[in-house]
Amino acid sequence: MKRALLFVWFAAAAVCRADPTPPAVKGPAGGPPPILPYQMRTLLPAGDRQSGGKDGRVLFSNRCGACHFPGGMGTNLLTKERVAAGAAPESGLLTNRKDLTVDFVKMVVRRGKLAMPRLTRVDVTDAELDAIAHYLGKTGG
Amino acid sequence: MKLTLPPLVSAASFQRALAAFERVVGKGWVLATDEDRDAYADIYAPGSENEWPASAAIAPASVEEIQAIVRLANEYKTPLWPTSRGKNLGYGANAPRMPGTVVLDLGRMNRILELDVGLGYCVIEPGVGFFDLYEHLQREKAPLWMSVPGNAWGSVIGNALDHGIGYTPYGLHARNLCGLEAVLPDGDLMRTGMGAMHGNHSWNVFPLSFGPDWTQMFTQSNLGIVTKAGVWLQPEPEATTVLTWDIPNEEDIGWVIDTVTPLKLSGVIDQNVFVPSWLGKLVLKGQRKDFWDRPGAIPPSRVQELLKQHNLGYWQAQVRLYGNEAVNRAKADVVQKAFARHLPTPPTQEHWKLGEPLSQFDITAGVPSAVPLQMSDWVGGRGAHMGFSPVVPASSKHVLGQLQRSRKIIAAHDVDFYASFTVSGRFATNINMLMYDRDNAQQVANIRKLFNALIGETAQAGYGEYRTHLGWMDGVNDTFNFNSHAQRRLNERVKDALDPNGILAPGKQGVWPSVYRDRAGTGGPA
Repeated sequence: MKRALLFVWFAAAAVCRADPTPPAVKGPAGGPPPILPYQMRTLLPAGDRQSGGKDGRVLFSNRCGACHFPGGMGTNLLTKERVAAGAAPESGLLTNRKDLTVDFVKMVVRRGKLAMPRLTRVDVTDAELDAIAHYLGKTGG
Repeated sequence: MKLTLPPLVSAASFQRALAAFERVVGKGWVLATDEDRDAYADIYAPGSENEWPASAAIAPASVEEIQAIVRLANEYKTPLWPTSRGKNLGYGANAPRMPGTVVLDLGRMNRILELDVGLGYCVIEPGVGFFDLYEHLQREKAPLWMSVPGNAWGSVIGNALDHGIGYTPYGLHARNLCGLEAVLPDGDLMRTGMGAMHGNHSWNVFPLSFGPDWTQMFTQSNLGIVTKAGVWLQPEPEATTVLTWDIPNEEDIGWVIDTVTPLKLSGVIDQNVFVPSWLGKLVLKGQRKDFWDRPGAIPPSRVQELLKQHNLGYWQAQVRLYGNEAVNRAKADVVQKAFARHLPTPPTQEHWKLGEPLSQFDITAGVPSAVPLQMSDWVGGRGAHMGFSPVVPASSKHVLGQLQRSRKIIAAHDVDFYASFTVSGRFATNINMLMYDRDNAQQVANIRKLFNALIGETAQAGYGEYRTHLGWMDGVNDTFNFNSHAQRRLNERVKDALDPNGILAPGKQGVWPSVYRDRAGTGGPA
């Protein structure tokens, strides 16, 4: 079920537009067009943003969700990139990736990658990035 | 990025300044490594990021910290470049105009201080992003809508202060600001409008003042650091109707504008009406190489093929009507009849009612999205864009003239044409997106030449830009030349009076304090 839903998300993401118009998202033949609702991010936890021991899942949602949720700019571009490389479309979602390393996540966030700008240490603190990188970097390292 | 010191500051004095700043904000919030400087460079820089290098960044958490930093900056003569969230992509992002300026990053100041549901406004800090405010309204179940720009990754206040636009009835963002709090260049704190009276209840609802209102003094300006703002929000409508037309031909933009403007001025249409050209549709269908595999601009014959193949008009016009369903129906009838005088094909219609879900891409409903930034992928590589953005009267004569002029200049530079006109009332904002690969030196050089030509020839014809990239702030300032640059003389006198040490955003919008005035015109494009 989850997989099927994801597929719909990606199909819709692929035709979303670059301008302020509502999406002309086409659903399955005969059905009404599916609506991709806004996905709320988790709140940024209160407290010192520079201390360790943080929840990477919560921080990924809050700090990265604007682009890396389903339908987001980052997800759409990564999906295109992954599919072109022969990978499954759902691997465009960072949370589905199994091949990311902690160091790679950190490097991309601090150095940027193609369309992704670098993030400052106000955007994401080192402590927050460490937690996010460990959450996404399933292969360790 | 290696350290570029602020002009007039020695290495030792700079280190002492950083240590003093650290005592204010805490060690972790003065960011001065090479990697930090990279992160405060213009990620879309048309050329080397080293043209606009920051020396460091400081991230205060409170108004008091900002005041303390400003006083220290005066003492150590270290100039500051305030940014709210630093996502002004295409206009310089979070990079400073003058090399070596210290970025004052207000991203940590992200509190939503007040939300008045009945009167439809909030009071927020500069670090509040469009996504943050949107989610707050959802969590509070507040029946209020925001207006969002194409790229909603940035700050609500920052975008409004830079004269950003959106596509709802509240789309002139600077006009939604009501009551600012600002730290002045000497560290003093003031509030504009009725906020000048301690405890005044009308601060964020009355848009004027007793005496002159200084609110606009702090937009696109280097005269203060805005620390709080009242922002008006739109009452959630009961229903909306969206009418969309594909407009077949390039010259049709003339009658489209002449049709929309009177409807807008008479109140039938409330929103800012966005009319993009065809490339706005193609940029998300693939990369440039998928449609045209040669380096120059896509030739007109190929454009016609693509329009046919993808079932697109040269333009797309879309009108959204907001409010009571019966009223929307009546308005839709008026708008359709006006369009039908020029185009027999009826528009597609989409209806929405309160309680139904909104799409995450619904920018005319004020839903924030960063997806429009995807266009940076169009050229491939490390894609980027700059916007050439003149303002013209909203009539066919001026719009067609502007279109033909910029079209000709852009074609002469062999660059793809992607323009939009947004009708906001008596004027239309014409944004020309110029996309380039940051790593292609030839492309970058060409875009810079093109940008210079656009500014010069457009000014010659009697039009100016509403906003521009760091590298062209002096150039655009130069075009505002009534009475041998009388406005510049006034700006400079005010700047020197309020900021004798020139510590706030030297060069912002081409306004230089006397201490750095000899730098005007430097560091920008050749």
